[in-house]
Amino acid sequence: MRTIDKALTSLSPLPLLGVLAAIDIAMVLVGWVLYGLPTWPDITPSRILNLLTGEPLIRIVGDEISISNSLITMWIVMAILILLAYAGTRRLALIPGGLQGGLEVAVQTLVDFVVDTGGPAAAKYVPLVGTLFLFILLSNWLGVVPLVGQIPLLHAPTADYHITLGLAIVAFVGYQAEGIRTLGRGYFKRWLNLESFKEGPFLGGLLIFVGFIEFLAEVIRILTLTARLWGNVFGGEVMLVVMAAVLYVVAIPILLPFAGFEMFIGLLQAVIFSILTLLYFVLATESHEAHGESDENHATTTKEESHA
Amino acid sequence: MNLGWLAAGIAVGFAVLGVGIGLGIATAKSSEAIGRNPDAAPLIRNNLILGAGLAEGLGVLSLVVGILLIFLTHP
Repeated sequence: MRTIDKALTSLSPLPLLGVLAAIDIAMVLVGWVLYGLPTWPDITPSRILNLLTGEPLIRIVGDEISISNSLITMWIVMAILILLAYAGTRRLALIPGGLQGGLEVAVQTLVDFVVDTGGPAAAKYVPLVGTLFLFILLSNWLGVVPLVGQIPLLHAPTADYHITLGLAIVAFVGYQAEGIRTLGRGYFKRWLNLESFKEGPFLGGLLIFVGFIEFLAEVIRILTLTARLWGNVFGGEVMLVVMAAVLYVVAIPILLPFAGFEMFIGLLQAVIFSILTLLYFVLATESHEAHGESDENHATTTKEESHA
Repeated sequence: MNLGWLAAGIAVGFAVLGVGIGLGIATAKSSEAIGRNPDAAPLIRNNLILGAGLAEGLGVLSLVVGILLIFLTHP
């Protein structure tokens, strides 16, 4: 690393700029020769919905059950994560070397973040939340890498709403099951509050209605988790393609801030997905006796009270 | 002239208006809170990031509506 740093800082800027401009002009000329002058894209309606999700490459049953390019990229993401974990934990030393030290820092940061947000009892959710975070982070960042999204073989996994729907269903089923396992049949009291009928039929009916609305809001969480992650990553892809087309000749240097913005959005969306999943777990497992206030900040405020 | 495209523009425009105002208010309030109590900055920042993510999710839902309007309406 130090030799790379020294080499990069010892270059003088003007020849470097000249080299970058030459590479830029060469790529634009190659594009002109291969594809001609740029024209308005030819989008036929049958291919549009595939653009939103990722193209099926090997069809098994029709168009829906197939091996699509986003699935292949997801396998690549899984391979990267598994290889990193395997290589880092092969020979565990008490004083960690490079890769193991980096992994330890990452895991410690995740555990600290989870325990900060959810309280000390939330440490058992670290595997799920941490895995979600790492997978979504790597998938989002792969959407910024040069070839992904341009060649038909690779497509960012989280830019495909099927995959984000799968992640949202995992989180949803996970926290509902955890809530039912912790609270038993009392878990459903937050929606179906039959004991409030003791205080009068009007109040009971009103709370049944409120419980129904809250149940709808819970089920909507699947949709919002899916759409938030997918919309941000897919919208980022669209933005990068549009900016590259608009800038065209000077695209290669000036596109870098946009790619940086896309990486920041990818990180933010990974954090938000994992933290929301963690919050749903914490909200599901706390006993919901004081019905009426269901703010998302309940977990963090209880942590602050226990500090003060 | 596809009215669906016009509808998509109007839908996303109004949605982003609300999201922009909401996020501006949230950032202003959290900056004020950090100014009053700089020691609590990580807690306040966590809440801000969480709230910003939720509000942006609503804006993204409007993007989904816009995409549906563009691709599924025919003149």
